[in-house]
Amino acid sequence: MDHKIGRREFFKRSAQIGFSTALSFGFTSLAEAKVSLSGGENVDICVATGSDYYASTIKAVECLGGMKKFVPKDAKVALLPNSQSRHPGTFTKPEVVQAVIEMCKEAGAKEVNCLTLLKRENWEASGLAAAVDEAGATMKFVESEEVNFKSVPVPEGKAMKEVMIMKEFYNNDVFIDMPITKDHAGNKFTGTQKNLMGLNYRTNNRLFHRQDWQTNPKSIEHLDQCIVDLNKVVKPTLCIVDATEFITTNGPFGPGELAKPQKIVTGVDRVAIDAYCTTLWGLKGEDIYMIKLGSEQGLGEIDLKKVKIKEIKA
Amino acid sequence: MKPRTSSPHSRIFYCLCFFLFIALRLLAFQDMLTKYLPKSGEAENWKREGEPQYFEGEALYEYIDGGAEIYHEYGFKHVTVQDYVNPTGKSVSVEIFEMTNSESAYGIYTFKTHKAGRKLSIGGDAQLADYYLNFWKGNILVTLTGFDETSETRDGLLLLAKGIDAKLDLSGNRPQIVSHLPAENFVSQSMKYFKGILGLRNSHPFFALNIWAFEEGVKADYIEGYSVFFLRFKGSDQSFSQYEQLKKSYAEHPEYKVHKTSNTEIFTALDNRERRFFVSVHGTSIFLVLGDINHIQALQIFQKIQEEIGD
Repeated sequence: MDHKIGRREFFKRSAQIGFSTALSFGFTSLAEAKVSLSGGENVDICVATGSDYYASTIKAVECLGGMKKFVPKDAKVALLPNSQSRHPGTFTKPEVVQAVIEMCKEAGAKEVNCLTLLKRENWEASGLAAAVDEAGATMKFVESEEVNFKSVPVPEGKAMKEVMIMKEFYNNDVFIDMPITKDHAGNKFTGTQKNLMGLNYRTNNRLFHRQDWQTNPKSIEHLDQCIVDLNKVVKPTLCIVDATEFITTNGPFGPGELAKPQKIVTGVDRVAIDAYCTTLWGLKGEDIYMIKLGSEQGLGEIDLKKVKIKEIKA
Repeated sequence: MKPRTSSPHSRIFYCLCFFLFIALRLLAFQDMLTKYLPKSGEAENWKREGEPQYFEGEALYEYIDGGAEIYHEYGFKHVTVQDYVNPTGKSVSVEIFEMTNSESAYGIYTFKTHKAGRKLSIGGDAQLADYYLNFWKGNILVTLTGFDETSETRDGLLLLAKGIDAKLDLSGNRPQIVSHLPAENFVSQSMKYFKGILGLRNSHPFFALNIWAFEEGVKADYIEGYSVFFLRFKGSDQSFSQYEQLKKSYAEHPEYKVHKTSNTEIFTALDNRERRFFVSVHGTSIFLVLGDINHIQALQIFQKIQEEIGD
């Protein structure tokens, strides 16, 4: 394994900054997912609302205690924004990515790397490449060849016993999951959990989609279970979700009907964040099978009544 | 008899012929779609930018990573993508999809459009939304996407769409099943035509758990606040077994409350949000009404559809 720092050492360091985190295997307990603010207040999710998305991103991270809480000095940080399409409301906005890169650098990150299986053209078309360059991060374009991926067993996997994560991912100490929440024709919703497919080998991702998906509804549920299995072995240190403007129809590629809640959602509990994001377009966490499965299998809390959400104006 | 073996030269010749055939086929397909793209100068000051891209069959996954399945469900053949720009720097992306037939093109059109869009007189049906425009004609679906919501961009969408429409010398009808739903109080542009489970499941979270191995289906919304679904199966064996399967899955599911009725061919249930739905099976069809409606009204709707299809 290509970890730059050992798992034990990393947990020790993380504990020193008051937060358990990282590129580890196994489950994040809900206790770990709760973030302690400096005043002793616990919060699961922060939501910053405003038309300046750069400012909202900074506020939403500050609300959790600031980037230093998640990014130790000299850490190598992996970012995973969504850059799937250039249509409005389908990709993480450049100003959000730029704000995160700058916060990581201010926190003392040695490197900030944007990981992607896509080509530079995709990032240029959405304006993300320029934002990454300007903020001083590095693009890591991973070619979709098996040699660039590492087989990772999923001991608790129900549909997948092994996933194939890009080796480049393991060259980092901290992982920030940065999806845009939006509609997805395959399973109706995409957010923190589904975004992790962007780290997985495409051929392996294709196994998430069974050949008989057109005739067997169980195959669509298989996709949801595979996503949950993937999330059991890849755990973000922090999730920063672009819920500013996103498509609620014809996802994930668009074009589709745009919702504009102008929100940036931050936290660690992926199930809680995804469940919260569904409410921004009239759904409930329970409506999305993937979110239900994630909750049932210990990835997080689906019941928003049990989740401490802090809403702020940016 | 000694089997005939080909010489190395003839093998090379056959290989070259094969690759030539593939290349010519690709060029022919590409040309079939690019000929519909307006040339620079044909749509006022909108000019082509870059070369058109082309994706055929399974290669659609390269273009629409993670979202190609729905196109394949409706019946996808190939697509060409071309960007246009105007002198002030506005851009529009044009996608021309060739689907297997006009029903497929109409179906994916209904999937990609929504009630709030502005209806236009282009092609078979057309709709302009905030920053994009869709229309279908024959077995072709055209999607034009602008990258902002300005009137300049929207004017560009209209100009380019009209230019493509004029080049599409095709015709095709909407699927017959669409005409069987009640027309009274129908919400304009709410029609969805389904060819498979993805389209159906995306139409409402209600369908998240069920098996619906149907041939085709349709859904429409009504101003009273309910939606009507009509699904057609290959035979009555399939429709009745699906109906029984549906009853069983809802009866077993903790989030649904099934109401028993004396009529074995209709059942009523409530979901966890107290949304009411009625389901009926008739011949090769399953009908379903969901929303703000009572038992008698639901029955009347089912009867109307049955009369319409003449089963």
